Amino acid sequence: MTAIQQIEENLRREAKGMLERGEVSVVLGYARGLDEKHPQPYAAHKVDEVADLIFNEYCVHNLARYLTRYPPGTKIAVVVKAADSRAVVQLIQEEKVKREDLRLLGIPVTGMKDPKTGETIDRRTTGAVVNPVLYDVLLGEEIHGVQTGSPYDVLTELEAMETQERWGYWKKEFEKCIRCFACRKACPMCYCDPCFMDASRPRWADKSPTADGSLMYHLTRFYHLAGRCVDCGECSRACPVNIPLYLFHKKMAKECEAMFQQAAGMKCEDKPVMVTFGDQDSDEMLK
Amino acid sequence: MFKKVTLEKRIDFVSALMEKGPLFAPVKGEKDFEFQRITDPSVVTLDFYNTSMSPKFVFFPQSEDLIRYRLVKNGAESAPVPIDTPPSVILGVRPCDAKSFEIMDRHFLGAGVIDPYWKERRDKTTVIGYPFDPRTQPDPADFYNALGIRAADTAGSDVLMIRRDGDLLLKSLTEKGSGLLTDLALSDGSADDERAFEEILREGNDLRSRFLEIQDSEIAGKLSRIFEDKDFWEKTAEACIGCGICTFVCPTCYCFDISDETLFNEGMRKRFWDACMFTDFTLEASGHNPRPKIFQRYRQKVCHKYAYHVGKYGCISCVGCGRCTRACPVNIDIFSVIEKALKR
Repeated sequence: MTAIQQIEENLRREAKGMLERGEVSVVLGYARGLDEKHPQPYAAHKVDEVADLIFNEYCVHNLARYLTRYPPGTKIAVVVKAADSRAVVQLIQEEKVKREDLRLLGIPVTGMKDPKTGETIDRRTTGAVVNPVLYDVLLGEEIHGVQTGSPYDVLTELEAMETQERWGYWKKEFEKCIRCFACRKACPMCYCDPCFMDASRPRWADKSPTADGSLMYHLTRFYHLAGRCVDCGECSRACPVNIPLYLFHKKMAKECEAMFQQAAGMKCEDKPVMVTFGDQDSDEMLK
Repeated sequence: MFKKVTLEKRIDFVSALMEKGPLFAPVKGEKDFEFQRITDPSVVTLDFYNTSMSPKFVFFPQSEDLIRYRLVKNGAESAPVPIDTPPSVILGVRPCDAKSFEIMDRHFLGAGVIDPYWKERRDKTTVIGYPFDPRTQPDPADFYNALGIRAADTAGSDVLMIRRDGDLLLKSLTEKGSGLLTDLALSDGSADDERAFEEILREGNDLRSRFLEIQDSEIAGKLSRIFEDKDFWEKTAEACIGCGICTFVCPTCYCFDISDETLFNEGMRKRFWDACMFTDFTLEASGHNPRPKIFQRYRQKVCHKYAYHVGKYGCISCVGCGRCTRACPVNIDIFSVIEKALKR
């Protein structure tokens, strides 16, 4: 694995070049926050802002989240780790961004750390892909020979539960929700405007933070993300009350993969599984 | 009044507090600490730095029932939900949070209209303050010193509690506080304990958290001058994803929304926390939104705390507890924002 300082150096060089040549009008990366251990997403618009760009093991945020914020046609360079690149691919499939508007600065990396807890992020809370699935420039060497295992192993315990027990587990988890909506805001795939939760006519869930309403919110988001969640883990890291949302979405991703033989955000040519129909599709759910 | 609770009596002390009425105290969760209504005295912990959520919910719960109603032919029958709180205690409130109660009082009690819900709970709740231990490292996100709050300040507390080895030393600061200590029939602290207590208070005067000279009027004036500085605010809020965590964990954020929630023909009018960071916070019935962009909403949050609140209530509405910085999913740090604004 390329040293992280080298990646940072390569990032600054590429970003500078792209801005100087006018290939892009903004480079989405990371800058120092409160300290090195708390970097924040950063947009460099000018060449002299490139010096502020950093990269270290705490730069976990999925920057694909910001792509849909810029007006269509904006030329954007964006730093992507493996899961982030999958989010970009998924956004391309969904026609929210165009491939030709993007310059992807790929970073193959393992061993990223959660800035809040310092814990190493691995396949338990994120996907098992380590190299970006799509990139224009690679800022470090591809990583090979790492045994990552299945990202779904972590579901074993939940899957072993009886239905009622599992229902009880999730109800209890979602009772903790304070409706700060950080999960939907951190999610690169949650771009609905307005979100169904903000609609007042009809109102889909109580505005006040009732347990039933919170369940409604999370279940709906769960279905909205079917076949779209790229398992980046941002929702769980954003949650201030530690709801293990990644488990929830991993389960749906696993089911979708099994039914449609397609993981979210792997190839630009793929169609999102929920918007296509093929005669080979599983009819498991109809039985 | 100066009292002492020895290590072996600690559970008895917590149980005695619970007999007085609802007790709110820090409890260890999976990953962090939270104030909770205590049902089992053994879960209370004092080995915490600070909680993720602020204790403001004791006075200002996230959701409050206001009016119960029933729809009848040509109208509705309604009755306000009675405001009736038993005397309660919050144990283990850090000085910055205790100060936040006083700041919130200015809004809920001092704005010309008294909020009966806040008042009832404030009147009936005794706050046991718990200074930061001068021998532990402050959290890097904290900046309460910059807002004139010291690690062992007494403002907002009725009783101040300090840990000396395993023992708890308690000193009453208000009538409510001495009333509670008298009722609990605790043993008196020795002169030696009292000296140790005063020593810790003195140590608490040293600067500990991050610091920056912030004058209320200076920052308020500065923010009004740079209000139109779009470059500054866009740059500041470019990482912001527009969730509401910072306002929910904040001890001084008080905005709420009111909604009628009806099921068949019965319902409840409720109020619940809202956040200026949400898109629909300022959405008007016409569909127009005066703050459609994230930078406008972020600017509102900063200016409300550091400018408008100064103009309206004469103080900054922030206590530097660092919760918003710690909770922010994208690590935006309000202290750095203020630092940059002052240099602008």
